[in-house]
Amino acid sequence: MMKSGKHLQRLASVATLAAMVTLLWVIIALCREGLMHWHWWVLWRRPRELKAGGGLGPELINTLSMVALAECLSLPLGLATAIWLGEAKLPRRVREGLDGFFISFQSIPAIVVGLVAFEVLVGYFHWPLSVATGTLALTVLNVPQVVVFSRQAMAAVPDAWREGSLALGATALETVWRMVLPASLFALVDQLGLSFARLAGESALLIFTAGLNVGPHWGWFQPGETLAVHLWQVRTEGLMPDRAALAAETGIVLLAITALAIFGSKVWSLRLKAYQSGPGGGGP
Amino acid sequence: MARVKIQMQSVSVWYGAQPALRQVSLDVAEGAVLALIGPSGCGKSTLLRVINRLVERTPEAKIQGRIWIDGEDILRPEMDLVRLRKRVGMIFQRPISFPFSIFDNVAYGPRLHGLKDAFELRRVVELSLKQAALWDEVRGKLRRPASGLSGGQQQRLALARALAVNPQVILMDEPTSALDPGSAARIEELVVKLKGQYTVVMVTHNLQQAARVSDFTGYLQAGRLIELGETSVIFTAPRDRRTEAYLTGQID
Repeated sequence: MMKSGKHLQRLASVATLAAMVTLLWVIIALCREGLMHWHWWVLWRRPRELKAGGGLGPELINTLSMVALAECLSLPLGLATAIWLGEAKLPRRVREGLDGFFISFQSIPAIVVGLVAFEVLVGYFHWPLSVATGTLALTVLNVPQVVVFSRQAMAAVPDAWREGSLALGATALETVWRMVLPASLFALVDQLGLSFARLAGESALLIFTAGLNVGPHWGWFQPGETLAVHLWQVRTEGLMPDRAALAAETGIVLLAITALAIFGSKVWSLRLKAYQSGPGGGGP
Repeated sequence: MARVKIQMQSVSVWYGAQPALRQVSLDVAEGAVLALIGPSGCGKSTLLRVINRLVERTPEAKIQGRIWIDGEDILRPEMDLVRLRKRVGMIFQRPISFPFSIFDNVAYGPRLHGLKDAFELRRVVELSLKQAALWDEVRGKLRRPASGLSGGQQQRLALARALAVNPQVILMDEPTSALDPGSAARIEELVVKLKGQYTVVMVTHNLQQAARVSDFTGYLQAGRLIELGETSVIFTAPRDRRTEAYLTGQID
């Protein structure tokens, strides 16, 4: 028994190491390729279709604004749903059913969500492929994720704290607002960073909701190509002579956004958490 | 005999089909300390939790009977739970410090009930911490996380937090069972000090503690209140055979 456990542990360590090496190799290769050809001006120049020397300015702005807007829309929606699911007096079956629904909704392929968004917004409402359409598609994709991670974050709040709050005369809603949310804030912030990174890297559903090009200026109903989509487009059907370098540079920018979102939220989250557990390392 | 503060009449509680409290009737005099003793699972905690109606959080909990506090029927459906719990504070077995600063822990209740003025809040927090004999240890450190305090300090913080909303009744659910003897002794001192000003109902496993701090003692067994009387009488000359058996360690 002991022996097989040890073997299993060794196997797991090797697998972990292999996964990490592969990932690091990908990142290092990308950084090498991108940094060799790195030009700062890609951050603000407009893309060029046929000539070398184009940039990613509009794509960068589209990515940041669409993801931020999608978070702004999906966060309150998902959080409110999670609060209702967790704190309202629901029959156990209903709660478990809805939890299951959101958990399974998470694994619906993004492209299918994109298809539905396309059918409804573009097909039925005749919206153009645009920033607005893409943002709404991202929102729909993100809501179940927000519901699931908020549920987990709030479920981790000890029931004794809720009880303590209720015993002081707080209503259920006040307890959510003054106890459950502040106490789960660090976990929510942490997940927010991951969610931001995930959406920034989303490509499939944006191809047919936000489009493959950019408008002359930012606008709701302007075409809203993002970095991830641009990367795919440049590498598959790009005609500019410097497409290999441009793709690698796009990759670098995308990677930087992802890293910043994750790192930034982690730091913020840890600061919030440090306050909770205290310098002495914690409560009873 | 002082005025009756809490009056219970044939109170029964079930968790689903499981009876937890059967036909309990008792009176608690204003300003008195009532200790509830009895074997594990005898319904002591349920009896406490029905007084501030926290028992209703348990799914499928069912309450029957009447409870009056100052003559007001608190089990009636339209009773305002916020007002009830403002009057009836509670200290739990495990010291609970909320994940905020010491100040925000104590200010939680007053803020909840609409106190916004910073000066007034500070006064209430200081007063409550003094009442709970914690002020000298935390003054100047009010902005630090409460979780950095020791278990005994956290329990006194919980008391300060309860006192900050100015309750009349304080329920204590084995308040010292998770503490070291020194910290437990400080809590006991506090209970004695609070006597007269507050009506205290205290569940305890520690018989010496009940004997030391309480004016009245009730013995519960299998959800029934077997005997209730002055502490000195219960401990020296219990009327009921079962009480005597428990006090002499024959039931655990």
